[in-house]
Amino acid sequence: MWQLLESLENSGYAIWLREAPTVLAYATVLAAHALGMAILVGLSSVIALRVLGFAPGLPLAPLERYFPLIWVGFWVNALSGLVLLSLTPVAFLTNPTFYIKMLGIAGAIVSVQLFRTSVFGHPASLDTKPVPMKGKILAGTMLTSWGVAIVAGRLTAYSFFTEWRTVLAVLSLTVVLTAGYKAARRLGLSIKSTRQGRATPSTGY
Amino acid sequence: MESFVNYWLTSPFLTHYMNYFPWAWPLAEISHFVGLILLIGGVGMFDLRLLGMAKGLPVAAVRRLLPWGVFGFVLCVTSGLCFVLGLNANVPNRVYDVLMTDIWLDLKLLFIFLAGINLLAFYLTGMSRAVDGLGPGDDAPPLAKVIAGTSLFLWLAVIYVGRLIPWGL
Repeated sequence: MWQLLESLENSGYAIWLREAPTVLAYATVLAAHALGMAILVGLSSVIALRVLGFAPGLPLAPLERYFPLIWVGFWVNALSGLVLLSLTPVAFLTNPTFYIKMLGIAGAIVSVQLFRTSVFGHPASLDTKPVPMKGKILAGTMLTSWGVAIVAGRLTAYSFFTEWRTVLAVLSLTVVLTAGYKAARRLGLSIKSTRQGRATPSTGY
Repeated sequence: MESFVNYWLTSPFLTHYMNYFPWAWPLAEISHFVGLILLIGGVGMFDLRLLGMAKGLPVAAVRRLLPWGVFGFVLCVTSGLCFVLGLNANVPNRVYDVLMTDIWLDLKLLFIFLAGINLLAFYLTGMSRAVDGLGPGDDAPPLAKVIAGTSLFLWLAVIYVGRLIPWGL
């Protein structure tokens, strides 16, 4: 098995794609992987965030039209990912982080599919009834899985030592940003209530 | 000029910390990814609606996603500045030489600049106001479609040439 992978790694195809003196080979496959990610994760995350309660004014039902494009993003990344894997298969398949990335992607893709059927299954009542809890849970699972896939995907390029430090840094930054966001919302709310308080005179003449 | 650029676009402080903390560089990279995802998610969805995808959405409602795109852009600029100001934490090159020789970085900056001009055109041509009244099923005016298509193309091009930057060093 490993011998087969090694011979793939040393094949003319892999060597040319890795070392060709043009950005149209290896670099373009990497760029395609970033573009596919932007489309796949970008569009699906916006829909998930909408289901979780952000941008409540946005009608849900028409968002289903974006799913075919989300799948285009997925296939761009599945194909470019397979090519990238075929260039250095041994390094990837012996790296635990790579498997965490794959688990993240599997979790996210299953969530996207279940999310689509559970949230968009009954388009007529979609914008009149609140989103079912199942849809919200799937949206949360999708966003978390994308986070795991992206962090693990980037970290496959780093040493184990750097990896777990970065994971801690990402978690800390997420906590700080979430707390900041919540604090800002509270502050915003309190400013609004103060304004309302001023608008209504408390003393009569 | 050379020393001016090297002085203002190099931060020994940031370089030191990007070097000192092994997580700093990958954290900036991950922030850059999250930022571009929000940018394409927010702005891309708006552009696609103007181009005619998911026409059931009223444009004014999709507009609420633009601040997400702006937030993503800010994340990308912040992390991108860490790459430039802390360049020496990763490669020994000087910023001035990189700006003068890396065609992909120059193209990326050009495309971002053009995306800014395009956004300005969206407001100055009155298209920004014109599309706000578009309800479910309404078609955007041709000029708005041209601007939306240009925006989508430019941001995807920014990602493409951005990924090529290491090959131009």
